[in-house]
Amino acid sequence: MEDLLKVEDLRTYFFTEAGVVKAVDGISLDVRKGESHGLVGESGSGKSVTALSVMRIVPKPGKIVGGKISFDGTDLLTLKEDDMRRVRGSKIAMVFQDPISSLDPLYTVGKQLIEAIRANNETVSKEQARDMAISLLSNVEISEPERRFNQYPHELSGGMKQRIAIARALARTPTLLFADEPTTNLDVTIQAQVLNLMKDLKKNFNMTLVLITHDMGIIAEMTSRVTVVYAGQVSESAETHTLFYHPTHPYTEALLKAVPRLDKRKQLQSVGGNIPNLIDPPTGCRFHPRCPYAIQICKEKVPDYEEVETDHFVACHRWKELSLVGVQ
Amino acid sequence: MSQLTEEQTAPPKRVHRQRSATQWAVAWRRFKRNKSGVAGLAIVIAFVVFAIFGPLFAPYPPRSTESLLQGQAGQPPSWKHPFGTEINGIDVFSDSIWGARNDLWIGVAATAIATLIGLAVGALAGYSRGVIGGILLGIIQFFFVIPTLLLILLFSRVFQVLVYQGFGVNLIVLILGLFGWPGISFVIRGEIFRVRELEFIQAEKALGAGNLRILFRHIVPNVLTPVIVLASLLVAGNILTEVVLFFLGFGPANVATWGELIEEGVQYVSVYPWVALFPGLLVVTLVLGFNLLGDGLADALNPRLRE
Repeated sequence: MEDLLKVEDLRTYFFTEAGVVKAVDGISLDVRKGESHGLVGESGSGKSVTALSVMRIVPKPGKIVGGKISFDGTDLLTLKEDDMRRVRGSKIAMVFQDPISSLDPLYTVGKQLIEAIRANNETVSKEQARDMAISLLSNVEISEPERRFNQYPHELSGGMKQRIAIARALARTPTLLFADEPTTNLDVTIQAQVLNLMKDLKKNFNMTLVLITHDMGIIAEMTSRVTVVYAGQVSESAETHTLFYHPTHPYTEALLKAVPRLDKRKQLQSVGGNIPNLIDPPTGCRFHPRCPYAIQICKEKVPDYEEVETDHFVACHRWKELSLVGVQ
Repeated sequence: MSQLTEEQTAPPKRVHRQRSATQWAVAWRRFKRNKSGVAGLAIVIAFVVFAIFGPLFAPYPPRSTESLLQGQAGQPPSWKHPFGTEINGIDVFSDSIWGARNDLWIGVAATAIATLIGLAVGALAGYSRGVIGGILLGIIQFFFVIPTLLLILLFSRVFQVLVYQGFGVNLIVLILGLFGWPGISFVIRGEIFRVRELEFIQAEKALGAGNLRILFRHIVPNVLTPVIVLASLLVAGNILTEVVLFFLGFGPANVATWGELIEEGVQYVSVYPWVALFPGLLVVTLVLGFNLLGDGLADALNPRLRE
């Protein structure tokens, strides 16, 4: 399959008063047409900033300082802002983490959907947009779409708001959808509904999905390929199945150990330590202060991003010698 | 699945389409429960009606010294002159009515000017970062720290020539409006900082919305509630400033305002105490009304109290 989105050596830094925060520091990513790609890592590892960088809506004082992003053959980083605006929403869309604050409280659901449908596209009449909005609401399995259309966000539940946020992102049938922790703020039962809905929508709308999460369970459930990011860099990338059963990066192993399992009642292992300070990241491999397998070279030299096998890459000095434990 | 079961178990709903309560409707419901706020609104409405229709019933034109010729100067309240007359024979009741019109106009029009300027400057200062934002903040701070009252006094002296061309009241409106906005700007700027970071702004960007659309359709409407409260309080403040201006003798003498009456009244307070008393009571009542209204609005519009 061909690449829909190819991110190479992306660097997005935040120029704060405390120093330069290297939130994304050389992330590479390739997302193929039609796949569900997982982007996994702890909070603050640069997953969301990567997505915001692709859409070029990184909030200030953040700035993309290097790298290349090509989407469907277009170099996004050299596009004029006006042209980039036309890409947003129509080609690439995004669903955000917090459904409560991702809808404007002052407008009805219908108004917000119509605005999304007609953004940069005034050829659609208001009447047409209204019909489209109602059918979007039924697409995201909202009951009584006609009634919801006239309601305000504060009248809806969290799960319903997230469905509406999804509907809004789909308003102009984008080819690529970023879902940034779309279920983190929802109840567990609603989470499953929303994830299933996203699966169906991805198929029906013929979309490519990049799912950003810290939840390995969701990755296993939803994605076919995964990129693991740590402290603004990619540590491992593989097919989901391979990554779960044959991890080659100690960080991947640690993430897998931290997943609760009902079948094995063992003490849950957290990944020791904290994500490093990205103003002054550790030398060498950024994971070395937390890595149980770290040796001298890990502190000194940045590991290369090497090919383990086809479609499986890892950035670790010791991947050849270590035999790491995946899911059994 | 879940929707299906929900619909099956729920009793059939009535079919008529009910319009959802807007945030304004919710706020109005809450405002109605606030007694002092409603009292403030009632006072304000009463004065507005008084200012609009009162002049139809005013016994004398503004600043009319007709009674002086009839030997009626300095009369205490009577049926003919309910609020008495002052030393030049001006009927205090008539001028209080004309004054209500002028004072309300000064309060509201100056507030409108100040609010528009404050909103525009505050919005731009809050939304643009970097150099432009810094410059705008500097401008706001400059106007915030300069002693506004002194400048107002200075300007009303400098431009006094306009007063004799019938520009008296509007001169005050302009001066109060042009100097009254920094407080509003500060609040708007802060509110915009808050709203700008909310996720729906990011979401709008992700949908391809442009900066102006985001600023004026999504950010500004979301910061309007404190502006409404501040504007209501600013009306009261402007009326008080008007009174101070005239009290200090800086107001145009040919304009009927409460401040002018109070100033004249205070000069002869031991002889004709009613001249300052009645307009003074009116000022206090109207300012109280706007303050109660502002407080009531602040409570009703506070999102943290939202049901």
